[in-house]
Amino acid sequence: MITIYKEKKDIPANKEYIEWNDIFFNQHTASKMDERASQIIKEIDCAEHISKYKIQSRFEETVLDIDRLSAGCKTVLNVMYNPDKVFCMKECGSNALEILYSLPKGLVYSDYALIPFNMKEVRIQSQNTDRVIDSYEELKRWWCNEE
Amino acid sequence: MKSSPVVMNHFTTVHTSFLIDFTFTNNITILTGDSGTGKTAAFSFIKERMAIDWDILCLNYLDNQSCIKNLLSQVKSKLIVIDNADILLDDDTRKYISLDDKNQYLIIGRNPRNLFTSKDNLFELASEKVGEQTKFTIKPYL
Repeated sequence: MITIYKEKKDIPANKEYIEWNDIFFNQHTASKMDERASQIIKEIDCAEHISKYKIQSRFEETVLDIDRLSAGCKTVLNVMYNPDKVFCMKECGSNALEILYSLPKGLVYSDYALIPFNMKEVRIQSQNTDRVIDSYEELKRWWCNEE
Repeated sequence: MKSSPVVMNHFTTVHTSFLIDFTFTNNITILTGDSGTGKTAAFSFIKERMAIDWDILCLNYLDNQSCIKNLLSQVKSKLIVIDNADILLDDDTRKYISLDDKNQYLIIGRNPRNLFTSKDNLFELASEKVGEQTKFTIKPYL
């Protein structure tokens, strides 16, 4: 399951925080991708991963460089291929959030609640808390400091 | 917040086989929705138009090292299009935008915090094939 931080100060000092998923993806993750990325790209961007650095767009079947993936898709791929780093999740749409929450591991940050309706389990880490939450409402309360 | 557009009611541009055809009903339009629907592609087509259209100013993550609020305060009568807004815009800049009556805004993002907007300001992208072209329009976000 993924781990969520809601304050930057809660991110462990040995974990690098990445705010701009676009740039990190273009510089690092794109070269690491394998066949596991294809399904993610198809589900989020409705595009076909036709070779290591090329996709076929959902619009007009145009062949594009992989840098044209959406920021949400890039975020999910960054988290998937770099589980030792913490990524900002603010540019994920609902479709990307659903996939993000289903990843077996990964670290993400947002200072406001971003929760898919069909969430299962996530780990939350803040100043005095390190636990697993499996309820939308409970996670929202934690994020909004309503506990 | 419901306020009439101060710069333009309609924007259109063409980029090869893509046609942008946006109708604005508010001075602040937040373009939101799922990932991968073409929002950033639309931004890139509008940005291309910026080279020949003085009414447009486009900002995105490449402007992260600029002071966005200062930049906005120096322009008037422009449609200001901001991609990656959820990270690029801090609270102070958002408050400035909400009170700016000299410019019009198209903000691509999901977080309306401090923009003092309502559902009237929320739109999503729609696309349709028109002959050999793909036409992008905006429609209210439900």
